[in-house]
Amino acid sequence: VARDRTSPDEFTRPIRRILVAGIVLTLLALFLLWRIDSPRVERFRAALVDRVVPSFDWAMAPITKVAGMVEDFQSYTRIYEQNQELRRELQQMKAWREAALQLEQKNARLLDLNNVRLDPRLTHVTGVVMADSGSPFRQSVLLNVGARDGIRDGWATMDGIGLVGRISGVGQTTSRVILLTDSNSRIPVTVQPSGQKALLSGDNSSAPPLEFLEKQDLVRPGDRVVSSGDGGVFPAGLLVGQVAQGVDGRLRVRLAADYERLEFLRVLRSHESERITEPGALIPPPVLPAVAPDADAAAVVTEEADG
Amino acid sequence: MAEGVPSTVWAYRALFAVLALALLFLRLLPLGSAAGAWPGPDLLMCLTFAWVLRRPDYVPFVLIALVVLLEDLMLMRPPGLWAALMVLGAEFLRSRTSLTRELSFVVVWVLVAGVMAAVVMGNRLVLAVTMLDQASLGQTIIQLVATILCYPVVVFLSRLAFGVRKPAAGEIDAYGRRL
Repeated sequence: VARDRTSPDEFTRPIRRILVAGIVLTLLALFLLWRIDSPRVERFRAALVDRVVPSFDWAMAPITKVAGMVEDFQSYTRIYEQNQELRRELQQMKAWREAALQLEQKNARLLDLNNVRLDPRLTHVTGVVMADSGSPFRQSVLLNVGARDGIRDGWATMDGIGLVGRISGVGQTTSRVILLTDSNSRIPVTVQPSGQKALLSGDNSSAPPLEFLEKQDLVRPGDRVVSSGDGGVFPAGLLVGQVAQGVDGRLRVRLAADYERLEFLRVLRSHESERITEPGALIPPPVLPAVAPDADAAAVVTEEADG
Repeated sequence: MAEGVPSTVWAYRALFAVLALALLFLRLLPLGSAAGAWPGPDLLMCLTFAWVLRRPDYVPFVLIALVVLLEDLMLMRPPGLWAALMVLGAEFLRSRTSLTRELSFVVVWVLVAGVMAAVVMGNRLVLAVTMLDQASLGQTIIQLVATILCYPVVVFLSRLAFGVRKPAAGEIDAYGRRL
């Protein structure tokens, strides 16, 4: 359709084009700024999320509740089988509990005999999940606790059973948890009976793979995986999950935390571990009594004159 | 319905912003998109391109940039990149609105699919060049295909529910200009 030559579009079009180019360049500049100086932009993002998401809360709560109720209702339909299953599990658990209690007593006795110094007890802050990442390619959730509650970047987050992720991005009243399944998550872990160290690196699948295992032969499917505390970021000994072999033959970890239902999460307060930053200094010899420099120089001159 | 009256245009612009916020809100709900699940379509992309081709004056580029930038920031994407690509894609389609009026829907759909693919691949290319890690190619393609398949649905719904359609031949706005 031929446009009318006298329409105002004819005059505004070049200006428009410049404006479009300007806005595209501005957006790309923002992207580059983020790429270069990520922490500053991420702080801005955390502040924005902190402002926007809590204002959605009034609408989010009822929808989330209704969805939860629908899910619960679906589980009522197979309540009988579940009941049977739970009974069986309870029987097994009772046996395990006895064993665990005995082991705990034994362990305490042995630790006492060896004078082992334990880590100071971890305390935690519990937060409610407000929102998730909203994108299928990023695995993170937003908690309703933030800098106001003393949350800091890097702290470990658990649900009742296992490790869920770490805090990355703290706003005043909200904080973001990068889940272990996110492709940016790398956690040092230990595989339990063999003591092999490895890195658990998320790859956006529900069972993240183990990387940098020294001896793969020592690790078997079913082994327990706990956090190792290497690097000083995470407390050691938090349960992560169990080793399983993926269809591609790689060793993966089936996570212990219930990722289907992340509702309440514990943020563990990690204490700043003391860091040894300096290499050991030289041990100097004891200081000699100082000699007057003039007397020294005079001595040298007389020696030269003699020779 | 009075086409092109300024207040109507502004109402539609506001409606676009509200719809975009509602989509963002739905995605943020903590209903758990489990890792490894199939990614759903990018409905905001469908909505933007559908409206740009039908009524370009309802979705000015500044509005697209702002809405998508907000989405970038909220969804933990690299801020600005996706917004810039969306503006470019929308502008490409906007400059071809008069052309697409003469084409059948299927041909336009193919054109839109091409633009969507270009935006997605451009995004991956820039992420690769700047050495950022990105989602797996398989998942990205699944999302792209889902988005392309959703496009006709979004077109149909926005026509049915909000009356966003192409102006008929010879239709004029409040100032007597041809649309």
